[in-house]
Amino acid sequence: MRIFDFFRKDKAPKSAFVQEYERLFEIKIPSIRPIRQLNFVVIDTETTGLDAQKDFIISFGGIKVSNYSMNLQSTRELYLDFQIQNRESIKVHEIIYPIKSIPLKDFGKAVLDYISSDIIVGHHIGFDLMMLEKTLKSFGLKKMLNPVLDTQYLAIRLEKGPHFDFSMAKPGEYALDNLCERYGIALDDRHTAAGDAFLTAQLLMKLLKVAEKKGINDFGGLFRKL
Amino acid sequence: MSNVIVNRVKEFLKRYPPFTFLSDESLELVAKGVEVRFYGQHEFLFEQGDPAQNFFFILKEGSVQLLEMKEGHDRIVEVCDEGDVFGVLALLGKRPYILSALAKEDSLIYAVPVAIFEKILQENNKVALYFAAGFASGQVVVRSDLSQSQKARALIKDASQDNGLLIFTGQSDFTYSVQVLTCPQGTLVKEAAALMAKNEVGSIVIVNNKNQPLGIITDKDLRNRLLAKQKSYDTPVDELMTSPVQTKSKEASFPDLYLTMIKNRLHHLIFTEDGTPDSPVTGILSDHDILLSQGNSPAVLINALLNTWDVSEMSKLRDRAEKLLAYYLENEVAMDFVANIISEINDIIIKRAVEIAKNKHDENYPEASQVKFCFMSLGSEGREEQLLRTDLDNAIVFEDVPLSKIKDTQDYMLLIAQEVIEILLACGFEACPAEIMANNRKYCQPVSEWKKLFSDWIHSPNQQALMNATIFFDFRPIIGYKGLSEELTEHIYNEISGKTIFLNFLAKNALLNPAPLGFFRNFIVEKSGEQKDKFDIKLRAMMPLADIGRLLVLSHQVIGINNTFKRFERLSDLEPNYKELMLEAGKAYEILMRIRAIEGLNEGNSGRYIQPEKLGKIQRQLLKNAFAPIDELQKIIRVRFQLDYFGS
Repeated sequence: MRIFDFFRKDKAPKSAFVQEYERLFEIKIPSIRPIRQLNFVVIDTETTGLDAQKDFIISFGGIKVSNYSMNLQSTRELYLDFQIQNRESIKVHEIIYPIKSIPLKDFGKAVLDYISSDIIVGHHIGFDLMMLEKTLKSFGLKKMLNPVLDTQYLAIRLEKGPHFDFSMAKPGEYALDNLCERYGIALDDRHTAAGDAFLTAQLLMKLLKVAEKKGINDFGGLFRKL
Repeated sequence: MSNVIVNRVKEFLKRYPPFTFLSDESLELVAKGVEVRFYGQHEFLFEQGDPAQNFFFILKEGSVQLLEMKEGHDRIVEVCDEGDVFGVLALLGKRPYILSALAKEDSLIYAVPVAIFEKILQENNKVALYFAAGFASGQVVVRSDLSQSQKARALIKDASQDNGLLIFTGQSDFTYSVQVLTCPQGTLVKEAAALMAKNEVGSIVIVNNKNQPLGIITDKDLRNRLLAKQKSYDTPVDELMTSPVQTKSKEASFPDLYLTMIKNRLHHLIFTEDGTPDSPVTGILSDHDILLSQGNSPAVLINALLNTWDVSEMSKLRDRAEKLLAYYLENEVAMDFVANIISEINDIIIKRAVEIAKNKHDENYPEASQVKFCFMSLGSEGREEQLLRTDLDNAIVFEDVPLSKIKDTQDYMLLIAQEVIEILLACGFEACPAEIMANNRKYCQPVSEWKKLFSDWIHSPNQQALMNATIFFDFRPIIGYKGLSEELTEHIYNEISGKTIFLNFLAKNALLNPAPLGFFRNFIVEKSGEQKDKFDIKLRAMMPLADIGRLLVLSHQVIGINNTFKRFERLSDLEPNYKELMLEAGKAYEILMRIRAIEGLNEGNSGRYIQPEKLGKIQRQLLKNAFAPIDELQKIIRVRFQLDYFGS
């Protein structure tokens, strides 16, 4: 993919913070680094809808996990200034905490600075990544470079084995709600980016423990191509 | 930082002491510093001897065992459940851990940095108090003995200063006269009356030359014993006085004083130096003094009950007694006092009901109504432990009559019983579902039949029959000829001595329900039906203790103590090796009674089924502590009565 980008003429000039972000990936994470020493950033985004073309990000929530521990100081929630008011989705998402939204540029920088070179974790993370990349495109970001771990995928891999055909799963079997219930994680209020990230982080820790029991102990094991 | 996440942590912490006592800002400060940690099953959070971490811990989800390593063995000191605080040593002493903490299942822990909490500790008295009160001394929230938790509860209660109607706020609440009008023996009544008039008091205490009280004469005595009997004014006071007198020390607690007066229907209670009649008089307390200090009080209720023959009025008064009970429970009044008051009120209602029944039926049964009988309460009411108007269990024993008169007599007794039961139902009591009530022919029998019944239970016990029979062994005479119930008691003890097989059966019965130690983890709750997911506090916790108390008291051939916590109190003297345990068991029972009564009052039911997750943190802690003695006692009983060799 990246090779085609090179020929693309319409790309935006790279912002300093994007360049800084990209430099972080010059050093790769060694595959034998044990799970305990890996730095994860669990994220979730709240969007106006599910159409990657038309919809856009409202908010971002994140929490960092390493050594089976997360510090509340490391949590983030960011709200993006609205360009278009979409009333319906505000109602749906019901953000009840006093929020301070920031302009796109600050939002982009804050997100990238925060995510840094950690392993990105999310539930059904593909969509969030797509939305983030779309949001950051105007600052010259072509692609998120971090290793990415999807808790939905990880749960399936651990429960059904690596070759399981996801389409065979019961509908909703691997949705965040159901997984949380299955793994005994208390569902508080859902549907805030930070709240979901917090749940996903707890799920991640449980899944990593299961993985370790199955002999998946290090970065290489976690990201082995199957 | 994420407000959403911080708020979630805050919401959780807020539910558990000591965080309950924090202001919103302090709580926010704590929450922001929290580190959320995850420990897999069988992982150690810290181990005995490790240097203290800069955190203490709150269990968010899962289960953590605190273990003590001794001579190569792990002993479980405590199983923490949701909301438990542990590792507090770091907070207080900065010494190495004296216990290990092991995740028994996957567990989520909130770790709070000591630095943040120390700041709050300085600011907030209540939090410091909480930790100081022994709840969290040493390692945790370890099972401190029950009296300490009770103390902590009282302290916390005081500190939060909530509800108004304090019934007992301490000694200072009532005033009594230190000036006691006295006269020597041999004084003439007319002289005594003149003294009373001169001093404007309603009583005079007759003392010997050492100023020790011999008797008392009141206004009422002058009326009833002098004027009405047309005695001479020159009668010496010795002939008229009420003697001996009830005395107490001024140091006695107010509930104790109050209870003595209520139980003995005293209008005056005399204080002496050491509380016995053999020391000098130091003061006098009148029921008037008490009424002034009490307002709406048991004395008022009892007085009202004694002055009514109207069942609907009695019912209203019994409802008021329940309000009183609620105040007592809210205000942590000692359980033996509360139980005593409520039993007394119940007893008065039963007595009055019997009198009403007799007035109604006696004229139709001129002969049968002359037969002596005794109305007895059984089960929890027999043990003076019935706080709520749950099942009525009672029986009638009457003296033996010639065979020809049995039927007539029994018919009469049943009529009386029926009337009494109906009055009690009207007063809000529930009927016994097993029909163990005096209006059931089976339980309205002459004394010889009762003896046979008890002998049957004792000589050829069988498990099923005994399960239902145990409550009969807690009978207590309420009204009528007490000699009959004493005769029964005597009979039972004679029959029991040497019959180890019976005690074995009782012991087995006492072990039917194991101590619910895994309560908060495995939720020994009802598996199905209406009470699904609720905890049966009566069956799982109170009955085992009541059964054990009864068994041990019977095995020691102790007569006349019916109350479960008093039984354990007595047992603590009888079994010095287990003194502590017996005292704890007694306290545990009081706590269980309290929790059940509160639940019952809140839910408007018997309070028997508790929803574990609805309990507050302190209640859970108290409840959990209360289970431990059951387990220990059951172990002792298993060995003592050799139940492992005893066929099932």
